[in-house]
Amino acid sequence: MSDAVLQILGLRAGYGARTVIENISIDLHPGEWFVLLGPNGCGKSTLLDCVVNRLTPAAGEVIIAGHSLRRNSYEAKLQLGYGCAPDVLPPLLTARQCLEVHAGAKGVAALGADLLAVADELQFTPYLESFVDTLSLGTRQKLAVLLALVGDPLLIVLDEAFNGLDPKSALILKRHLRARIERRGGALLLATHSLDIVEHYADRAAVLMDGTLKHVWPQQELQRLRATNADFEAALASAIGE
Amino acid sequence: MNGPRLAAETLIWRNRGARIRLSRTAIACLSLITLAAILFIERRSFTVLQWLQPQAPWCAVLAAFFTAVGVAQRRAVKRTQFLRSWLAAVPVAAARARWEAFLIETLPAGVAAVALCVLAGLAALTPASDSSAKFSTIFIVWAYLALGVLSGVALSFLIPVPKPVDLPPGSRYVPKLKVVRAVPVQPSLLSLGGWPVRQMFAWAQPKVVARAVIPVLVMMPMGTKADDAMIAIALFGVLFAMVLLSSAVISVSRAARRWLAPAPIRTSTLTRAFLLPACGLIAAGSAMEGLLLMVFNVSFRVSAAVGTISALVGCTALAVALLWSMRPRRVP
Repeated sequence: MSDAVLQILGLRAGYGARTVIENISIDLHPGEWFVLLGPNGCGKSTLLDCVVNRLTPAAGEVIIAGHSLRRNSYEAKLQLGYGCAPDVLPPLLTARQCLEVHAGAKGVAALGADLLAVADELQFTPYLESFVDTLSLGTRQKLAVLLALVGDPLLIVLDEAFNGLDPKSALILKRHLRARIERRGGALLLATHSLDIVEHYADRAAVLMDGTLKHVWPQQELQRLRATNADFEAALASAIGE
Repeated sequence: MNGPRLAAETLIWRNRGARIRLSRTAIACLSLITLAAILFIERRSFTVLQWLQPQAPWCAVLAAFFTAVGVAQRRAVKRTQFLRSWLAAVPVAAARARWEAFLIETLPAGVAAVALCVLAGLAALTPASDSSAKFSTIFIVWAYLALGVLSGVALSFLIPVPKPVDLPPGSRYVPKLKVVRAVPVQPSLLSLGGWPVRQMFAWAQPKVVARAVIPVLVMMPMGTKADDAMIAIALFGVLFAMVLLSSAVISVSRAARRWLAPAPIRTSTLTRAFLLPACGLIAAGSAMEGLLLMVFNVSFRVSAAVGTISALVGCTALAVALLWSMRPRRVP
Protein backbone atom coordinates (compact mmCIF):
# COMPACT_ATOMS: atom_id res chain seq x y z
CA MET A 1 0.00 0.00 0.00
CA SER A 2 1.28 3.46 -0.94
CA ASP A 3 2.22 5.89 1.85
CA ALA A 4 0.82 8.78 -0.20
CA VAL A 5 -1.48 11.18 1.61
CA LEU A 6 -3.28 11.90 -1.64
CA GLN A 7 -3.39 9.94 -4.85
CA ILE A 8 -5.17 11.33 -7.87
CA LEU A 9 -5.36 8.69 -10.57
CA GLY A 10 -6.36 9.49 -14.17
CA LEU A 11 -8.97 12.04 -13.17
CA ARG A 12 -11.42 13.38 -15.74
CA ALA A 13 -14.17 15.82 -14.78
CA GLY A 14 -16.34 18.57 -16.14
CA TYR A 15 -19.76 20.11 -16.14
CA GLY A 16 -22.40 18.53 -18.36
CA ALA A 17 -20.91 17.70 -21.75
CA ARG A 18 -17.91 20.00 -21.19
CA THR A 19 -14.76 18.27 -19.97
CA VAL A 20 -12.64 20.65 -17.88
CA ILE A 21 -9.80 18.42 -16.66
CA GLU A 22 -8.48 15.30 -18.31
CA ASN A 23 -6.11 12.54 -17.27
CA ILE A 24 -4.76 14.19 -14.12
CA SER A 25 -2.55 12.06 -11.88
CA ILE A 26 -0.80 13.47 -8.81
CA ASP A 27 0.66 11.87 -5.67
CA LEU A 28 1.22 13.87 -2.49
CA HIS A 29 3.54 12.42 0.14
CA PRO A 30 3.81 13.15 3.88
CA GLY A 31 5.22 16.57 4.65
CA GLU A 32 4.71 17.82 1.12
CA TRP A 33 3.35 21.22 0.06
CA PHE A 34 2.10 21.00 -3.51
CA VAL A 35 1.18 24.15 -5.42
CA LEU A 36 -1.11 24.13 -8.40
CA LEU A 37 -0.61 27.05 -10.76
CA GLY A 38 -2.36 27.95 -13.97
CA PRO A 39 -4.28 30.66 -15.79
CA ASN A 40 -7.87 31.53 -14.91
CA GLY A 41 -10.34 28.90 -16.05
CA CYS A 42 -7.73 26.18 -16.56
CA GLY A 43 -9.47 23.78 -14.16
CA LYS A 44 -7.65 24.29 -10.84
CA SER A 45 -10.83 24.72 -8.82
CA THR A 46 -12.52 21.86 -10.69
CA LEU A 47 -9.64 19.59 -9.74
CA LEU A 48 -9.88 20.68 -6.09
CA ASP A 49 -13.66 20.20 -6.17
CA CYS A 50 -13.08 16.58 -7.24
CA VAL A 51 -10.51 16.07 -4.47
CA VAL A 52 -12.89 17.37 -1.79
CA ASN A 53 -15.96 15.54 -3.14
CA ARG A 54 -17.83 18.63 -4.24
CA LEU A 55 -17.85 17.31 -7.80
CA THR A 56 -18.06 13.68 -8.88
CA PRO A 57 -15.42 12.94 -11.49
CA ALA A 58 -16.43 11.29 -14.77
CA ALA A 59 -13.42 8.98 -14.58
CA GLY A 60 -10.46 8.29 -12.34
CA GLU A 61 -10.01 7.94 -8.63
CA VAL A 62 -9.13 10.09 -5.63
CA ILE A 63 -7.54 8.28 -2.67
CA ILE A 64 -7.00 10.15 0.60
CA ALA A 65 -4.78 8.45 3.18
CA GLY A 66 -5.51 5.06 1.61
CA HIS A 67 -9.30 5.57 1.47
CA SER A 68 -11.05 5.91 -1.85
CA LEU A 69 -13.21 9.02 -1.94
CA ARG A 70 -15.75 7.20 -4.09
CA ARG A 71 -16.05 3.93 -2.18
CA ASN A 72 -15.12 4.99 1.32
CA SER A 73 -15.94 8.67 1.35
CA TYR A 74 -16.59 9.01 5.11
CA GLU A 75 -13.15 7.67 6.13
CA ALA A 76 -11.47 9.66 3.35
CA LYS A 77 -13.14 12.90 4.45
CA LEU A 78 -12.08 12.33 8.06
CA GLN A 79 -8.53 12.93 6.86
CA LEU A 80 -9.45 15.94 4.73
CA GLY A 81 -9.56 19.63 5.55
CA TYR A 82 -10.84 22.02 2.92
CA GLY A 83 -10.75 25.80 3.01
CA CYS A 84 -13.89 26.69 1.13
CA ALA A 85 -14.51 29.99 -0.65
CA PRO A 86 -15.66 32.70 1.82
CA ASP A 87 -19.04 33.08 0.07
CA VAL A 88 -19.91 29.44 0.85
CA LEU A 89 -19.69 30.00 4.61
CA PRO A 90 -23.09 30.12 6.36
CA PRO A 91 -23.99 33.80 6.79
CA LEU A 92 -26.28 33.36 9.80
CA LEU A 93 -24.01 31.24 11.98
CA THR A 94 -21.38 32.81 14.18
CA ALA A 95 -17.71 32.00 13.59
CA ARG A 96 -17.73 29.93 16.80
CA GLN A 97 -20.71 27.92 15.58
CA CYS A 98 -19.00 27.25 12.24
CA LEU A 99 -16.04 25.81 14.13
CA GLU A 100 -18.37 23.80 16.38
CA VAL A 101 -20.24 22.31 13.42
CA HIS A 102 -17.02 21.34 11.64
CA ALA A 103 -15.61 19.84 14.84
CA GLY A 104 -18.90 18.03 15.44
CA ALA A 105 -18.87 16.65 11.90
CA LYS A 106 -15.34 15.36 12.35
CA GLY A 107 -16.22 13.85 15.70
CA VAL A 108 -13.38 15.51 17.57
CA ALA A 109 -13.69 15.89 21.35
CA ALA A 110 -12.27 19.44 21.45
CA LEU A 111 -10.51 21.90 19.20
CA GLY A 112 -6.74 21.54 19.18
CA ALA A 113 -4.74 24.03 21.22
CA ASP A 114 -2.59 24.83 18.18
CA LEU A 115 -5.68 25.76 16.18
CA LEU A 116 -6.85 28.14 18.89
CA ALA A 117 -3.33 29.52 19.11
CA VAL A 118 -3.19 30.25 15.39
CA ALA A 119 -6.68 31.82 15.58
CA ASP A 120 -5.33 34.05 18.30
CA GLU A 121 -2.21 34.84 16.31
CA LEU A 122 -4.36 35.77 13.32
CA GLN A 123 -6.31 38.09 15.65
CA PHE A 124 -9.43 36.11 14.86
CA THR A 125 -10.58 35.37 18.42
CA PRO A 126 -12.52 38.67 18.87
CA TYR A 127 -14.70 37.70 15.91
CA LEU A 128 -15.74 34.31 17.31
CA GLU A 129 -19.18 35.57 18.38
CA SER A 130 -19.81 37.58 15.18
CA PHE A 131 -22.18 36.43 12.49
CA VAL A 132 -20.35 35.41 9.32
CA ASP A 133 -22.30 37.93 7.20
CA THR A 134 -20.86 40.78 9.27
CA LEU A 135 -17.23 39.68 8.80
CA SER A 136 -14.92 41.27 6.26
CA LEU A 137 -13.61 39.23 3.32
CA GLY A 138 -10.21 38.73 4.96
CA THR A 139 -11.74 37.59 8.26
CA ARG A 140 -14.03 35.16 6.45
CA GLN A 141 -10.99 33.86 4.59
CA LYS A 142 -9.25 33.29 7.93
CA LEU A 143 -12.30 31.40 9.17
CA ALA A 144 -12.35 29.24 6.02
CA VAL A 145 -8.72 28.26 6.57
CA LEU A 146 -9.27 27.63 10.29
CA LEU A 147 -12.17 25.33 9.42
CA ALA A 148 -9.83 23.40 7.13
CA LEU A 149 -7.53 22.79 10.08
CA VAL A 150 -10.23 21.44 12.42
CA GLY A 151 -9.56 17.84 13.41
CA ASP A 152 -5.88 18.03 12.41
CA PRO A 153 -6.44 16.45 8.98
CA LEU A 154 -3.70 14.68 7.05
CA LEU A 155 -4.60 16.41 3.81
CA ILE A 156 -5.29 20.14 3.65
CA VAL A 157 -6.76 21.51 0.43
CA LEU A 158 -6.87 25.26 -0.09
CA ASP A 159 -8.15 27.26 -3.04
CA GLU A 160 -6.68 30.78 -3.30
CA ALA A 161 -6.58 30.80 0.49
CA PHE A 162 -4.42 33.89 0.87
CA ASN A 163 -6.66 36.21 -1.15
CA GLY A 164 -7.86 39.12 0.92
CA LEU A 165 -5.50 38.41 3.81
CA ASP A 166 -3.24 41.16 5.07
CA PRO A 167 0.50 40.44 4.58
CA LYS A 168 1.10 39.73 8.27
CA SER A 169 -1.76 37.24 8.54
CA ALA A 170 -0.74 35.61 5.25
CA LEU A 171 2.80 35.15 6.56
CA ILE A 172 1.60 33.71 9.88
CA LEU A 173 -0.65 31.29 8.06
CA LYS A 174 2.01 30.16 5.58
CA ARG A 175 4.49 29.47 8.40
CA HIS A 176 1.85 27.68 10.42
CA LEU A 177 0.82 25.50 7.49
CA ARG A 178 4.46 24.63 6.76
CA ALA A 179 5.06 23.65 10.38
CA ARG A 180 1.77 21.77 10.64
CA ILE A 181 2.27 19.48 7.64
CA GLU A 182 5.81 18.68 8.78
CA ARG A 183 4.71 17.91 12.33
CA ARG A 184 1.64 15.94 11.30
CA GLY A 185 3.22 14.18 8.34
CA GLY A 186 0.39 15.50 6.24
CA ALA A 187 0.26 17.22 2.89
CA LEU A 188 -1.07 20.48 1.51
CA LEU A 189 -2.57 21.01 -1.91
CA LEU A 190 -2.91 24.68 -2.75
CA ALA A 191 -4.25 26.31 -5.90
CA THR A 192 -2.90 29.83 -6.26
CA HIS A 193 -1.52 32.48 -8.56
CA SER A 194 1.12 33.63 -6.05
CA LEU A 195 4.57 32.68 -7.20
CA ASP A 196 6.08 33.72 -3.86
CA ILE A 197 4.58 30.59 -2.29
CA VAL A 198 6.31 28.44 -4.92
CA GLU A 199 9.49 30.39 -4.30
CA HIS A 200 9.51 30.07 -0.51
CA TYR A 201 7.23 27.26 0.67
CA ALA A 202 6.35 24.69 -1.99
CA ASP A 203 8.01 21.30 -2.23
CA ARG A 204 6.57 20.66 -5.65
CA ALA A 205 4.54 22.72 -8.08
CA ALA A 206 2.62 22.06 -11.26
CA VAL A 207 1.08 24.13 -14.01
CA LEU A 208 -2.36 23.17 -15.16
CA MET A 209 -3.29 24.36 -18.65
CA ASP A 210 -6.32 23.51 -20.72
CA GLY A 211 -7.28 20.85 -18.23
CA THR A 212 -4.02 18.89 -18.27
CA LEU A 213 -0.80 19.08 -16.28
CA LYS A 214 1.56 20.99 -18.51
CA HIS A 215 4.63 20.89 -16.29
CA VAL A 216 5.57 19.59 -12.86
CA TRP A 217 8.55 21.00 -10.96
CA PRO A 218 10.03 18.28 -8.76
CA GLN A 219 11.52 19.20 -5.38
CA GLN A 220 15.09 19.14 -6.70
CA GLU A 221 14.28 21.56 -9.50
CA LEU A 222 12.59 24.01 -7.10
CA GLN A 223 15.58 23.75 -4.77
CA ARG A 224 17.93 24.42 -7.66
CA LEU A 225 15.89 27.47 -8.73
CA ARG A 226 15.96 28.78 -5.16
CA ALA A 227 19.70 28.17 -4.82
CA THR A 228 20.45 30.04 -8.05
CA ASN A 229 18.07 32.91 -7.17
CA ALA A 230 16.32 32.19 -10.43
CA ASP A 231 13.41 34.24 -11.68
CA PHE A 232 10.32 32.11 -10.98
CA GLU A 233 8.20 34.13 -13.38
CA ALA A 234 10.64 33.36 -16.18
CA ALA A 235 10.70 29.71 -15.16
CA LEU A 236 6.90 29.61 -15.28
CA ALA A 237 6.82 31.36 -18.65
CA SER A 238 9.34 28.92 -20.11
CA ALA A 239 7.42 25.97 -18.64
CA ILE A 240 4.24 26.98 -20.40
CA GLY A 241 6.13 27.76 -23.58
CA GLU A 242 5.82 31.54 -23.71
CA MET B 1 -30.21 55.91 -28.66
CA ASN B 2 -29.19 52.47 -27.44
CA GLY B 3 -27.02 53.23 -24.40
CA PRO B 4 -25.00 50.72 -22.36
CA ARG B 5 -27.67 50.23 -19.66
CA LEU B 6 -30.37 49.53 -22.19
CA ALA B 7 -28.07 47.25 -24.18
CA ALA B 8 -27.12 45.33 -21.03
CA GLU B 9 -30.77 44.96 -19.94
CA THR B 10 -31.70 43.71 -23.43
CA LEU B 11 -28.85 41.19 -23.44
CA ILE B 12 -29.76 39.94 -19.96
CA TRP B 13 -33.37 39.51 -21.12
CA ARG B 14 -32.19 37.65 -24.22
CA ASN B 15 -29.87 35.40 -22.20
CA ARG B 16 -32.69 34.56 -19.82
CA GLY B 17 -34.84 33.71 -22.83
CA ALA B 18 -32.12 31.43 -24.20
CA ARG B 19 -32.47 29.25 -21.10
CA ILE B 20 -36.17 28.73 -21.76
CA ARG B 21 -36.75 25.94 -24.25
CA LEU B 22 -39.87 27.47 -25.85
CA SER B 23 -39.33 30.70 -27.73
CA ARG B 24 -40.97 33.76 -26.25
CA THR B 25 -42.48 34.67 -29.63
CA ALA B 26 -44.15 31.27 -29.78
CA ILE B 27 -45.55 31.74 -26.27
CA ALA B 28 -46.82 35.25 -27.12
CA CYS B 29 -48.45 34.04 -30.37
CA LEU B 30 -50.06 31.10 -28.58
CA SER B 31 -51.42 33.39 -25.87
CA LEU B 32 -52.84 35.79 -28.47
CA ILE B 33 -54.53 32.99 -30.39
CA THR B 34 -55.98 31.57 -27.15
CA LEU B 35 -57.24 34.99 -26.12
CA ALA B 36 -58.81 35.60 -29.53
CA ALA B 37 -60.44 32.16 -29.38
CA ILE B 38 -61.86 32.88 -25.91
CA LEU B 39 -63.20 36.24 -27.08
CA PHE B 40 -64.73 34.57 -30.14
CA ILE B 41 -66.35 31.71 -28.20
CA GLU B 42 -67.37 33.78 -25.19
CA ARG B 43 -68.92 36.71 -27.03
CA ARG B 44 -70.82 37.60 -23.92
CA SER B 45 -67.54 38.97 -22.55
CA PHE B 46 -68.38 42.11 -24.51
CA THR B 47 -71.02 42.85 -21.90
CA VAL B 48 -68.13 43.40 -19.48
CA LEU B 49 -66.90 46.18 -21.74
CA GLN B 50 -70.36 47.69 -21.79
CA TRP B 51 -70.44 47.60 -18.00
CA LEU B 52 -66.93 49.03 -17.88
CA GLN B 53 -67.70 52.02 -20.11
CA PRO B 54 -69.40 54.20 -17.47
CA GLN B 55 -66.79 53.17 -14.90
CA ALA B 56 -63.89 53.97 -17.25
CA PRO B 57 -62.93 57.30 -15.61
CA TRP B 58 -62.59 55.59 -12.22
CA CYS B 59 -60.58 52.79 -13.79
CA ALA B 60 -58.34 55.44 -15.34
CA VAL B 61 -57.79 57.03 -11.91
CA LEU B 62 -56.93 53.60 -10.43
CA ALA B 63 -54.60 52.82 -13.36
CA ALA B 64 -52.91 56.20 -12.92
CA PHE B 65 -52.46 55.66 -9.17
CA PHE B 66 -50.98 52.16 -9.45
CA THR B 67 -48.78 53.12 -12.40
CA ALA B 68 -47.46 56.18 -10.58
CA VAL B 69 -46.62 54.20 -7.43
CA GLY B 70 -45.18 51.24 -9.37
CA VAL B 71 -43.01 53.39 -11.65
CA ALA B 72 -41.77 55.52 -8.74
CA GLN B 73 -40.78 52.41 -6.80
CA ARG B 74 -39.08 50.91 -9.82
CA ARG B 75 -37.26 54.18 -10.42
CA ALA B 76 -35.94 54.17 -6.85
CA VAL B 77 -34.78 50.55 -7.13
CA LYS B 78 -33.20 50.97 -10.56
CA ARG B 79 -31.37 54.15 -9.55
CA THR B 80 -29.97 52.48 -6.43
CA GLN B 81 -28.92 49.44 -8.47
CA PHE B 82 -27.31 51.66 -11.11
CA LEU B 83 -25.18 53.46 -8.53
CA ARG B 84 -23.56 50.10 -7.69
CA SER B 85 -23.66 48.61 -11.15
CA TRP B 86 -20.67 47.72 -13.32
CA LEU B 87 -21.89 50.34 -15.79
CA ALA B 88 -21.93 53.21 -13.31
CA ALA B 89 -18.59 54.58 -14.52
CA VAL B 90 -19.23 54.17 -18.27
CA PRO B 91 -19.31 57.60 -19.95
CA VAL B 92 -22.69 58.25 -21.61
CA ALA B 93 -24.01 61.50 -23.03
CA ALA B 94 -26.48 63.10 -20.60
CA ALA B 95 -29.41 63.07 -23.03
CA ARG B 96 -28.86 59.42 -23.91
CA ALA B 97 -28.49 58.49 -20.23
CA ARG B 98 -31.79 60.24 -19.44
CA TRP B 99 -33.59 58.46 -22.24
CA GLU B 100 -32.37 55.02 -21.39
CA ALA B 101 -33.09 55.57 -17.69
CA PHE B 102 -36.63 56.67 -18.63
CA LEU B 103 -37.17 53.59 -20.82
CA ILE B 104 -35.84 51.19 -18.17
CA GLU B 105 -37.80 52.79 -15.35
CA THR B 106 -41.10 52.94 -17.23
CA LEU B 107 -40.79 49.57 -18.93
CA PRO B 108 -43.71 47.86 -17.09
CA ALA B 109 -45.96 50.82 -17.88
CA GLY B 110 -44.90 50.57 -21.52
CA VAL B 111 -45.66 46.85 -21.53
CA ALA B 112 -49.07 47.56 -19.96
CA ALA B 113 -49.83 50.16 -22.64
CA VAL B 114 -48.87 47.75 -25.43
CA ALA B 115 -50.94 44.97 -23.82
CA LEU B 116 -53.93 47.34 -23.66
CA CYS B 117 -53.52 48.15 -27.35
CA VAL B 118 -53.29 44.46 -28.26
CA LEU B 119 -56.35 43.60 -26.18
CA ALA B 120 -58.33 46.46 -27.66
CA GLY B 121 -57.26 45.44 -31.17
CA LEU B 122 -58.29 41.83 -30.55
CA ALA B 123 -61.62 42.91 -29.12
CA ALA B 124 -62.23 45.22 -32.07
CA LEU B 125 -61.43 42.46 -34.57
CA THR B 126 -63.69 39.90 -32.94
CA PRO B 127 -67.31 40.24 -34.14
CA ALA B 128 -69.60 40.70 -31.19
CA SER B 129 -72.86 38.79 -30.87
CA ASP B 130 -74.44 41.76 -29.23
CA SER B 131 -74.73 44.56 -31.75
CA SER B 132 -74.78 47.15 -28.97
CA ALA B 133 -71.10 46.38 -28.20
CA LYS B 134 -69.79 48.86 -30.68
CA PHE B 135 -66.30 49.86 -31.62
CA SER B 136 -66.79 53.11 -29.73
CA THR B 137 -67.24 51.18 -26.45
CA ILE B 138 -63.91 49.44 -26.92
CA PHE B 139 -62.24 52.67 -27.92
CA ILE B 140 -63.54 54.62 -24.91
CA VAL B 141 -62.48 51.96 -22.39
CA TRP B 142 -59.09 51.60 -24.05
CA ALA B 143 -58.56 55.37 -24.25
CA TYR B 144 -59.37 55.91 -20.57
CA LEU B 145 -57.13 53.08 -19.40
CA ALA B 146 -54.26 54.10 -21.68
CA LEU B 147 -54.64 57.69 -20.52
CA GLY B 148 -54.57 56.45 -16.92
CA VAL B 149 -51.32 54.56 -17.50
CA LEU B 150 -49.71 57.51 -19.29
CA SER B 151 -50.74 60.01 -16.64
CA GLY B 152 -49.47 57.55 -14.01
CA VAL B 153 -46.05 57.67 -15.67
CA ALA B 154 -46.15 61.47 -15.63
CA LEU B 155 -47.36 61.57 -12.01
CA SER B 156 -44.60 59.20 -10.93
CA PHE B 157 -42.12 62.04 -11.42
CA LEU B 158 -43.91 63.99 -8.69
CA ILE B 159 -43.23 61.22 -6.15
CA PRO B 160 -39.85 61.93 -4.55
CA VAL B 161 -37.21 59.24 -4.99
CA PRO B 162 -36.12 57.90 -1.57
CA LYS B 163 -32.45 58.03 -0.65
CA PRO B 164 -30.55 54.85 -1.54
CA VAL B 165 -30.26 52.65 1.52
CA ASP B 166 -27.68 49.90 1.98
CA LEU B 167 -29.46 46.69 2.83
CA PRO B 168 -28.27 45.51 6.24
CA PRO B 169 -26.96 41.96 6.61
CA GLY B 170 -29.66 39.38 7.38
CA SER B 171 -28.19 38.75 10.84
CA ARG B 172 -29.32 42.24 11.92
CA TYR B 173 -32.84 40.87 12.45
CA VAL B 174 -31.69 37.74 14.27
CA PRO B 175 -32.09 37.75 18.06
CA LYS B 176 -28.71 37.17 19.64
CA LEU B 177 -27.82 36.12 23.16
CA LYS B 178 -25.29 38.35 24.86
CA VAL B 179 -22.11 36.46 25.66
CA VAL B 180 -21.23 37.10 29.28
CA ARG B 181 -18.01 35.09 29.38
CA ALA B 182 -16.06 33.24 26.74
CA VAL B 183 -16.67 29.50 26.72
CA PRO B 184 -14.54 26.94 24.90
CA VAL B 185 -15.66 25.87 21.43
CA GLN B 186 -17.81 22.76 21.93
CA PRO B 187 -17.94 20.40 18.93
CA SER B 188 -21.62 19.96 18.10
CA LEU B 189 -24.08 19.99 15.23
CA LEU B 190 -26.77 21.69 17.31
CA SER B 191 -26.15 25.08 15.69
CA LEU B 192 -27.38 23.67 12.40
CA GLY B 193 -30.86 23.27 13.91
CA GLY B 194 -30.96 26.95 14.83
CA TRP B 195 -29.83 28.16 11.42
CA PRO B 196 -33.32 27.91 9.75
CA VAL B 197 -34.86 29.85 12.65
CA ARG B 198 -32.32 32.61 12.12
CA GLN B 199 -33.00 32.54 8.39
CA MET B 200 -36.69 32.90 9.20
CA PHE B 201 -36.00 36.02 11.29
CA ALA B 202 -33.70 37.40 8.59
CA TRP B 203 -36.50 37.03 6.00
CA ALA B 204 -39.29 38.27 8.27
CA GLN B 205 -37.96 41.79 8.62
CA PRO B 206 -40.18 44.25 10.54
CA LYS B 207 -41.24 45.97 7.32
CA VAL B 208 -42.28 42.65 5.73
CA VAL B 209 -44.27 41.66 8.83
CA ALA B 210 -45.99 45.06 8.95
CA ARG B 211 -46.97 44.75 5.30
CA ALA B 212 -48.21 41.19 5.81
CA VAL B 213 -50.47 42.30 8.68
CA ILE B 214 -52.26 44.97 6.59
CA PRO B 215 -54.25 42.53 4.39
CA VAL B 216 -55.23 40.54 7.51
CA LEU B 217 -56.59 43.72 9.10
CA VAL B 218 -58.36 44.71 5.88
CA MET B 219 -60.05 41.29 5.70
CA MET B 220 -61.65 41.75 9.14
CA PRO B 221 -65.37 42.48 8.87
CA MET B 222 -66.60 45.81 10.22
CA GLY B 223 -67.44 45.69 13.91
CA THR B 224 -64.82 43.09 14.78
CA LYS B 225 -63.68 43.36 18.40
CA ALA B 226 -60.06 44.24 19.10
CA ASP B 227 -59.60 40.94 21.01
CA ASP B 228 -60.81 38.91 18.05
CA ALA B 229 -58.61 40.89 15.68
CA MET B 230 -55.58 40.22 17.89
CA ILE B 231 -56.31 36.49 17.93
CA ALA B 232 -56.80 36.43 14.15
CA ILE B 233 -53.49 38.23 13.66
CA ALA B 234 -51.79 35.81 16.06
CA LEU B 235 -53.23 32.86 14.12
CA PHE B 236 -51.99 34.25 10.82
CA GLY B 237 -48.66 35.01 12.47
CA VAL B 238 -48.22 31.41 13.62
CA LEU B 239 -49.19 30.06 10.18
CA PHE B 240 -46.90 32.56 8.43
CA ALA B 241 -44.01 31.60 10.74
CA MET B 242 -44.51 27.88 10.08
CA VAL B 243 -44.52 28.38 6.31
CA LEU B 244 -41.48 30.65 6.53
CA LEU B 245 -39.65 28.15 8.74
CA SER B 246 -40.31 25.31 6.30
CA SER B 247 -38.95 27.37 3.39
CA ALA B 248 -35.97 28.37 5.50
CA VAL B 249 -35.19 24.74 6.33
CA ILE B 250 -35.08 23.81 2.63
CA SER B 251 -33.07 26.86 1.63
CA VAL B 252 -30.59 26.52 4.48
CA SER B 253 -30.17 22.75 4.09
CA ARG B 254 -29.05 23.31 0.49
CA ALA B 255 -26.51 25.90 1.60
CA ALA B 256 -25.31 23.59 4.40
CA ARG B 257 -24.91 20.72 2.01
CA ARG B 258 -22.74 22.87 -0.24
CA TRP B 259 -20.71 24.11 2.70
CA LEU B 260 -20.28 20.73 4.37
CA ALA B 261 -19.75 18.63 1.22
CA PRO B 262 -16.06 18.09 2.05
CA ALA B 263 -16.79 17.30 5.73
CA PRO B 264 -17.29 13.72 6.94
CA ILE B 265 -20.98 14.11 7.69
CA ARG B 266 -23.57 11.69 6.42
CA THR B 267 -26.63 13.01 4.59
CA SER B 268 -28.88 11.28 7.13
CA THR B 269 -27.13 13.09 10.00
CA LEU B 270 -27.43 16.42 8.22
CA THR B 271 -31.11 15.80 7.45
CA ARG B 272 -31.77 14.87 11.08
CA ALA B 273 -29.92 17.96 12.33
CA PHE B 274 -32.34 20.18 10.38
CA LEU B 275 -35.52 18.13 10.55
CA LEU B 276 -35.86 17.37 14.26
CA PRO B 277 -35.67 20.95 15.61
CA ALA B 278 -37.88 22.21 12.77
CA CYS B 279 -40.49 19.51 13.45
CA GLY B 280 -40.38 20.40 17.14
CA LEU B 281 -41.07 24.03 16.29
CA ILE B 282 -43.87 23.10 13.87
CA ALA B 283 -45.45 20.94 16.57
CA ALA B 284 -45.18 23.83 19.04
CA GLY B 285 -46.66 26.20 16.46
CA SER B 286 -49.55 23.81 15.82
CA ALA B 287 -50.22 23.54 19.55
CA MET B 288 -50.28 27.33 19.73
CA GLU B 289 -52.68 27.35 16.78
CA GLY B 290 -55.00 24.96 18.65
CA LEU B 291 -54.87 27.13 21.77
CA LEU B 292 -55.66 30.28 19.80
CA LEU B 293 -58.64 28.55 18.19
CA MET B 294 -59.90 27.61 21.66
CA VAL B 295 -59.59 31.23 22.75
CA PHE B 296 -61.58 32.03 19.61
CA ASN B 297 -64.46 29.98 21.09
CA VAL B 298 -63.86 26.93 18.89
CA SER B 299 -64.58 23.66 20.68
CA PHE B 300 -61.71 21.75 22.27
CA ARG B 301 -62.21 18.76 19.96
CA VAL B 302 -62.04 20.82 16.76
CA SER B 303 -59.09 22.90 18.04
CA ALA B 304 -57.17 19.75 18.98
CA ALA B 305 -57.97 18.16 15.61
CA VAL B 306 -56.82 21.25 13.71
CA GLY B 307 -53.61 21.45 15.77
CA THR B 308 -52.84 17.75 15.28
CA ILE B 309 -53.56 17.80 11.56
CA SER B 310 -51.52 20.96 11.14
CA ALA B 311 -48.55 19.38 12.96
CA LEU B 312 -48.79 16.13 10.99
CA VAL B 313 -49.17 17.81 7.61
CA GLY B 314 -46.46 20.38 8.36
CA CYS B 315 -43.90 17.83 9.57
CA THR B 316 -44.65 15.33 6.78
CA ALA B 317 -44.48 17.98 4.06
CA LEU B 318 -41.23 19.32 5.48
CA ALA B 319 -39.69 15.84 5.76
CA VAL B 320 -40.62 14.97 2.16
CA ALA B 321 -39.32 18.31 0.85
CA LEU B 322 -36.09 17.98 2.85
CA LEU B 323 -35.45 14.41 1.68
CA TRP B 324 -36.06 15.50 -1.91
CA SER B 325 -33.71 18.44 -1.49
CA MET B 326 -31.02 16.20 0.04
CA ARG B 327 -31.17 13.54 -2.68
CA PRO B 328 -27.76 12.57 -4.12
CA ARG B 329 -26.60 14.80 -6.93
CA ARG B 330 -23.44 14.95 -9.01
CA VAL B 331 -22.70 18.54 -8.06
CA PRO B 332 -23.90 19.21 -4.48
